[in-house]
Amino acid sequence: MNQLLAGLITGVLFGFLLQKGRVLRYDKQLAALRLQDMTIIKFMLSSVLVGMVGVYLLHDLGLAKLSVKATILGGTILGGLTFGLGWGLIGYCPGTSVGALGEGRWDAVWGIAGMVVGAALYAESFPVIKETVLTWGDLGKITIPQLLGVNHWPVIGVFVAGGVLILRWFEKKGL
Amino acid sequence: MAGQMEKGQWNPYVAGALSGLVIVGSVWLTGKYAGASTTFVRGAGMIEQLFSPERVSQMEYFLKEKPIIDWQWMFLIGILIGSFLAALSSGSFKLQGVPDMWRARFGPSASKRGLAAFAGGTIAMYGARLADG
Repeated sequence: MNQLLAGLITGVLFGFLLQKGRVLRYDKQLAALRLQDMTIIKFMLSSVLVGMVGVYLLHDLGLAKLSVKATILGGTILGGLTFGLGWGLIGYCPGTSVGALGEGRWDAVWGIAGMVVGAALYAESFPVIKETVLTWGDLGKITIPQLLGVNHWPVIGVFVAGGVLILRWFEKKGL
Repeated sequence: MAGQMEKGQWNPYVAGALSGLVIVGSVWLTGKYAGASTTFVRGAGMIEQLFSPERVSQMEYFLKEKPIIDWQWMFLIGILIGSFLAALSSGSFKLQGVPDMWRARFGPSASKRGLAAFAGGTIAMYGARLADG
C-alpha cells in the first residue's frame, strides 16, 4: 500500500481513539500533570503495554523489526526536563496538538506554531548540540533485556504487572 | 472531576488498548512506528525553504530529517481528521480558544493563552528533539 495513504489511515484511527478517550484536551493533560485525573496515563499505559506485547510478538514471529533509538543520557535527561517545562505551559503534546485542533480547541494553533519554531531552533543549534550534549552518556542502541542479559518476555511481564498495579492504585484512589 | 466520565467518552483503558492495537497493526503491515515530533522539523524546513532554499539544503539537521511529506506527516494529518470525526460523532466538537482550567486560573484572555501556548510549544519541541523523541 502507498505509504502516505497508510500513514493517513493509521492517523485517522489513532486520532479517533484519542478523541473518544478524551485525552486530547488541555484540561485533561494539565489534570494529569497536577495529579488530579489520570485519564491520559490510563490511556497511555494501556496503549504502551498492548503495543509492547504486540510488537515483540511480531518480532519473535519474524514479522517486524524493532526500532531502537540510541540511549544518550545527556539528550534524554536535558531534553526530558525541557519538554516537561514546555508541556506544562502548552498543555498539548506534539501529536495531540493536532488532535486538539481537530476537536475545535484552536489555542492549539499557537502551540503548533511554537512547536515549528522550536524545531527550527533545534535545527539551528544541532551542529553545536551534536558535539556537546549528544556526546554525554551515549550508551548506543541498548534495550533493558539486553542490558540484563535475559530474554525479553520476563521483562515485558514485569512491565505489564507493574503497569496493572499502578492502574489499580489509580482506581482505588479515584484518580 | 477525577474518575468521572462525560457523555460519549470511551473507557480510557479500552480506547488506549485499541490505540495500541492500531500501532501494532501499523508495525505489522507497513513496518512504521508512530511518532510526531519529526514532522515539525520537516515542517520547519519546508517553511524555511520558501525563503532560503540554499541555506536549508546545506543545514545538517535538514539533511538528516528532509523537508518532505512522509508517512508521519500524513499520520498527523490523519489524527486531525480522526479527532474531528470522533468529536462530531459524539457532539463534543467545541470551538474554544481558552481552555476551562486555564480560564479559571489566568482569565479569559485568548492572547494571553496563545502566548503561553506558543512559548510552551517552542520549549517543548526543543526538548522533544533534544531527547530524540
